[in-house]
Amino acid sequence: MKNALRNPYVYLMFVLPTIALYFLFFIYPMLTSVYYGFTDWDGLNRQNFIGFDNFATAFQDPEFRASIVNNVYILLFSCCVQVPLIVVFSLLISNVKRFQGFYKTTVFMPSILSTSVIGILWGYIYDPDVGLLNNLLGLLGIDPIYWLAESRWAMISILITNAWQWMGFYIVLILAAILAIPRDIDEAAKIDGATGVQRAWYLTVPLIKPIVNVVIMLSIAGALRVVDIVLVMTNGGPAGATEVMASYMVNKAIKYGEYGYGTALSIVIFIFALVLTALYQVLFARRQERIEY
Amino acid sequence: MKKKWTSVLAVSVALSAVLAGCGGNGNAPEASGSPSASPSPSASASPSESPSPEKVENFTVSLRHIQIGDPQKFRKAILDDVVKKTEEEVPGLKFELDGVEDSVNRFTKLPAEMAAGNPPKIMSIFGGAGDTQKYAKAGRLLDLTPILDELGLKDQFLNVLDPFSVDGKVYGLPIGGNTEGIFYNTELFAQYGLNPPTTWDDLIKAADTLKENGITPFAVGSKGAWVPNMTINTFIGRLAGPETITGFTTGAAKWNSPDVVAAYTLYKEWVDKGYFTKGELGKEYGDMLNDFVAGKAGMMFDGSWRSSAFKNDAVGAAVAGKVAFVTLPALPNGKGDQTSVNANYGEGYGFSADLNENELKAVKAFIKNMYSDEMQLRGLLEDGVLPSMKLSEASVAQVSDPIVKQVLDVLNGAGVTFPHFDSVVQSKVYTETETQLQKLIAGKATPQEVADAIQKVQDAENAAAVQ
Repeated sequence: MKNALRNPYVYLMFVLPTIALYFLFFIYPMLTSVYYGFTDWDGLNRQNFIGFDNFATAFQDPEFRASIVNNVYILLFSCCVQVPLIVVFSLLISNVKRFQGFYKTTVFMPSILSTSVIGILWGYIYDPDVGLLNNLLGLLGIDPIYWLAESRWAMISILITNAWQWMGFYIVLILAAILAIPRDIDEAAKIDGATGVQRAWYLTVPLIKPIVNVVIMLSIAGALRVVDIVLVMTNGGPAGATEVMASYMVNKAIKYGEYGYGTALSIVIFIFALVLTALYQVLFARRQERIEY
Repeated sequence: MKKKWTSVLAVSVALSAVLAGCGGNGNAPEASGSPSASPSPSASASPSESPSPEKVENFTVSLRHIQIGDPQKFRKAILDDVVKKTEEEVPGLKFELDGVEDSVNRFTKLPAEMAAGNPPKIMSIFGGAGDTQKYAKAGRLLDLTPILDELGLKDQFLNVLDPFSVDGKVYGLPIGGNTEGIFYNTELFAQYGLNPPTTWDDLIKAADTLKENGITPFAVGSKGAWVPNMTINTFIGRLAGPETITGFTTGAAKWNSPDVVAAYTLYKEWVDKGYFTKGELGKEYGDMLNDFVAGKAGMMFDGSWRSSAFKNDAVGAAVAGKVAFVTLPALPNGKGDQTSVNANYGEGYGFSADLNENELKAVKAFIKNMYSDEMQLRGLLEDGVLPSMKLSEASVAQVSDPIVKQVLDVLNGAGVTFPHFDSVVQSKVYTETETQLQKLIAGKATPQEVADAIQKVQDAENAAAVQ
């Protein structure tokens, strides 16, 4: 057996089927889709190779540019609003003595619901006539707001729903990191007379930085990928106000039958996601020191 | 522990047995409804049913339809009867019905299936450059010309096959027609002492009065922009003249000509005056009917196909007998014949080009049964769908539904008809009209900008068609 494993041919025999399958199901489809990105395929007729035309069109397309801006909103909202809130919530939950399990379950609940369910559920909350939100505003004497039907409200409505869906997942991640911190560090600080806020800010937060980094990176990738919630709640409307790159791509490719262009857009999205996460890794995450207890 | 597992197992076995039983019961009436499609492989055991003594091969034919939901139930009943009759006629045939929502089918599912090359054998399809003609040119649809000859149907149709034809060959058959106009709530109109909206002044007065009393003048759901596009289409036909619609693809008419811009300006004026449902961009097509039925809106601009929703046993039962239909009244500054109305024969059935012998037999039987005088008359009487085939005057005289009568009156009183532009212009142009109209409603673009943007796409598509 030992000798057999030294033989490269035996190695190859074991590895080849896997490589073949990997090529068939991952590499080959990816390469073909890259190829389609350089054609004018409409899904029906023969495709012609048109070079970089699709990519040139993409960056001149005002609607695609608007959708990039919307993705940037989502990205900024995730990193600047959502992540601090996640940390605050995690700290709060980690400090409660009773019903901690109950809180953990409650915040995690939205993550197990499917996006379609959440989209429809929040659709009712935002409903202008019978929705919960407008009923509450009505009690304060505020006129109904058309949350999903007006350009200036639609994006923020989607952002809130999206945050509601995913925050629980990240809170559980960070909570795990907080609870893994050895107790004696906290107790030592307590004996030294540090207040709760001081301990949270000077001890806990620095100690969970690596996991916060992971959460930020996942948020960046998630913000660029976001699509299902948009398709369910507004389908990019009203008048393109909530269109994101991925929903624009889906509509272009499937609804309008421009498969070549749609594929080109998907390549652009892929490159964006790759570059941004890599940049974040290189600029911020790598500079962190490892934390050892 | 072991005991617990056994009991869990026992319970799950029992459960699955019960579930299987349910499934069997649920399927039973369906199977018995079509004796020729009996699941037993030995169909030859009943020689009286099949004309030939040889074994009958069971086969299924997929059928995509868009008759889902309560408002469409009359249409679904007609389809079900045709399916049943066809299954009885063709030995071994079983249809596999697949109901999909109209716009999902038209803009998502069917295009994807056409791209993959596996469309259903029989499918609901729309006429025009964006649908039937595009798929026919790509060789995906069955040429029906020889079948029409064989069945003797060729001359039975009204002059409505053009949107379904390429180079003189027919690739789809319109099931019926419709016109788009104003439904109004006669009870509300009586309550506020309003005249029927048959003149422009009466229409505007009605809208203003309803608005003052806190009732939406026009229910509309613009989340899908094809809904407000119905109004735009008629505005264009009236303001720029009925020949404008067909002129876009030939270059004879321009979207950014002052007349067409005027149509968009009028729509924007109505939006600004609050004539349409507030938050219309967030409302679905179904919400529009609900608002109208609930009396929240006094009028709605919709297709005549909606008439069957106001029967006593339909979704609009609350306003049954209190709804009337008129065409858009003559516009004071309109061009061309102001009696012209919109008339569409766009929705119909198409058939996959990829059929084997059995499936072809099924398709022929389906066409024969669906496109008959009987079904056309049923469509008109039960459902208010205007016939796409020639019906005798005696048949048409049987119409008793008041709204359908009004629809027929509108069409009879029309000097000229014009089609909906979605059955004329290329799909990219149509898409642009939807995008731009929503921008107009949202206040993100002016009527002129909207028209210019659509014309730009139209120019590009017209140039591509010449090449």
